[in-house]
Amino acid sequence: MHNCNCENPLVPQIVEIVKIIDETPDVKTFHVRNENGVPFDVRPGQLAMVSLLPVGEGMFSVSWQEEKEHLQFAIRRVGLMTDELHSVGVGHKIGVRGPYGNGFPVEACQGKDMLFIAGGIGLAPLRSFIKYCLKHRSDYGKIQVLYGARSYADLCFKDELFDLWPKEKDTEVFTTLDRPEEGWDGHVGLIPSYLEELNPAPEGKVAVICGPPIMIKFALKSLEKMGYNDEQVITTLEMRMKCGIGKCGRCNIGSEYICLDGPVFNLAQLRKLPPEW
Amino acid sequence: MKVLNKNKLPAVFDKLAQQSELFVPLQKKEQSGFYSWKSFDQASDQLALDLLNVYLPPKQVLLPQTEKMYSFRQEEGGVAISEVYEESQARVIFGIRACDLQAINCLDQAFLTRGFVDEYYKARRDNTTIVASACYKPGANCFCSSMGVDPLEPAGADAIIRDTGSEFFIWEARTPAGEELSRQLAEYLEEKELPLPQSQAFERQVDMEGVAEKLSQVFSSPLWEELSDACQTCGICTYLCPSCYCFDIQVKNQGEAGYRFRCWDSCMYGEYTMMAGGHNPRASATERFRNRFLHKLEFFNERYGMPLCTGCGRCIIACPAGIDISKIITAAKEADWSA
Ligand SMILES: Cc1cc2nc3c(=O)[nH]c(=O)nc-3n(C[C@H](O)[C@H](O)[C@H](O)COP(=O)(O)OP(=O)(O)OC[C@H]3O[C@@H](n4cnc5c(N)ncnc54)[C@H](O)[C@@H]3O)c2cc1C
Ligand code: SF4
Ligand code: SF4
Ligand code: FES
Repeated sequence: MHNCNCENPLVPQIVEIVKIIDETPDVKTFHVRNENGVPFDVRPGQLAMVSLLPVGEGMFSVSWQEEKEHLQFAIRRVGLMTDELHSVGVGHKIGVRGPYGNGFPVEACQGKDMLFIAGGIGLAPLRSFIKYCLKHRSDYGKIQVLYGARSYADLCFKDELFDLWPKEKDTEVFTTLDRPEEGWDGHVGLIPSYLEELNPAPEGKVAVICGPPIMIKFALKSLEKMGYNDEQVITTLEMRMKCGIGKCGRCNIGSEYICLDGPVFNLAQLRKLPPEW
Repeated sequence: MKVLNKNKLPAVFDKLAQQSELFVPLQKKEQSGFYSWKSFDQASDQLALDLLNVYLPPKQVLLPQTEKMYSFRQEEGGVAISEVYEESQARVIFGIRACDLQAINCLDQAFLTRGFVDEYYKARRDNTTIVASACYKPGANCFCSSMGVDPLEPAGADAIIRDTGSEFFIWEARTPAGEELSRQLAEYLEEKELPLPQSQAFERQVDMEGVAEKLSQVFSSPLWEELSDACQTCGICTYLCPSCYCFDIQVKNQGEAGYRFRCWDSCMYGEYTMMAGGHNPRASATERFRNRFLHKLEFFNERYGMPLCTGCGRCIIACPAGIDISKIITAAKEADWSA
């Protein structure tokens, strides 16, 4: 289970930021590597603790591993460490430790049609699964991505959303903004209602959801209404984290540690946990 | 059988302390706990081998209240790790009771199993030898026997001492590490046949049968509000508990250099699960109280097959609000949670 390359799983490895992409006013994607390339291999949906010394550490989904070259993190500026991280440049050295968590069930989903539903920064983790499906295109059926944000500026990964993904075989991308906006002639409205409008049939499909808790809550209701059963719906959870290895105690929901047993669960598993998610 | 004359304890401790760091129960003025024998001050300290239970549990021998993890230095364009700390000094804990030893068995589960090994804990644990003291006279707040602990046969001990009430302890080595101690202490051990002490009954008892299963059904019951009403979320119960192990990771920066350290934390504090943007899944005292007791009595059991309370009674003595885990167990057992 544990495939951390370092001997001590709580000690970071030093990597260099080799590229920074401005995604939105408060999200940047960081590409990091050491002299050999990736510090460790990750599966889609796994996590890593990013460490900007001396400021702090924070847990992030690895948004993509580009071959053996580099890891990508899409990081929203929300507090102490992320503020500071947004101010450093290419060439800066930071720490990473991991990989942590179970990741998405990429094998179990083979042969299925995939429906990805994301809000805001919630696309960061799903992107690793979407890109994995596209890379192994023949293993998966139809791919649909439904993504929404507050405004056009707040949409992450715009080149992939508008340019690259729609060109892929049997792949559709639906975007929506919370409010109307000048120059936007796409869909306007919240994700759950757009989802019900699109009404994608549940047969042979797996739905993967990530976003703000409130969006997840309503999207889950919509999926249930549309006939998706609990095994067909996958989501990723967020809890405050410190260690990432199931020791420090704080990320539990019931007897499960989100950093170790999660962050990915299907709805059937979640319904067995106490309602703290 | 082998016996050890109590008069020789100071000499025994001096001997053990030559090769290892020795921790023994001491009464130091108002405070009692497991302290390094090196700190023993004849003028003000007393050996407290018969005190049930010393106030500070021995968990800090294996999980210090704060410990350095690694140091770093800031360099041009970033940072480098300078040193990863590892504590490999041999340790002996002498006189630990069965409840506190069971708490170490719990810590072993949490830190050494399930995919990742906590290297800091492991380095200490691997180098620790444990001499347990069998309990024949349980204290007023002790209820270890209700929590699956046998006070006469402390599980996991390398050696066991039994207080015969005379000037002798019976000495029993239980593991190769315990045999090694017997060899080291050969000059102090005598051969003598003594009757085993009489064990006395527990005043405090609870019935844990079915409690974990019952608790798993009642997460949303309003009874939690009633049970937690008096709790001040001071966290004393977690700091004094021999089996509570939650920790925080923080950083100390001194100019160009600094170190990352970890320290005990408490699930009773709101900050513990507070996330950026203000979302907190356990914002209220009731939610945190419920998580603490469910972790002790249900969640840890589900995960590791043993409760995370060993019946030492410390939280009952220390709680300023009179919260009593043995009463909570009984309340959980007897309550009609359907209301
Ligand atoms: C499983 C998981 C995956 C995540 N993936 C991403 C991602 O891909 N992109 C992204 O932008 N953010 C992600 N986050 C959220 C990210 O961890 C926090 O935004 C970040 O830690 C905030 O750090 P800060 O120091 O800037 O905030 P502060 O509020 O200053 O943080 C104070 C402390 O709280 C911790 N903390 C605050 N919020 C969170 C949180 N939501 N989860 C865990 N710890 C928190 C910090 O690590 C730090 O120790 C993820 C969180 C989790 C748990
Ligand atoms: S010691 Fe008592 S008042 Fe303090 S947090 Fe524990 S239960 Fe609450
Ligand atoms: S919960 Fe209380 S009685 Fe149980 S082990 Fe911890 S301090 Fe002792
Ligand atoms: S982050 Fe420490 S247990 Fe999950």
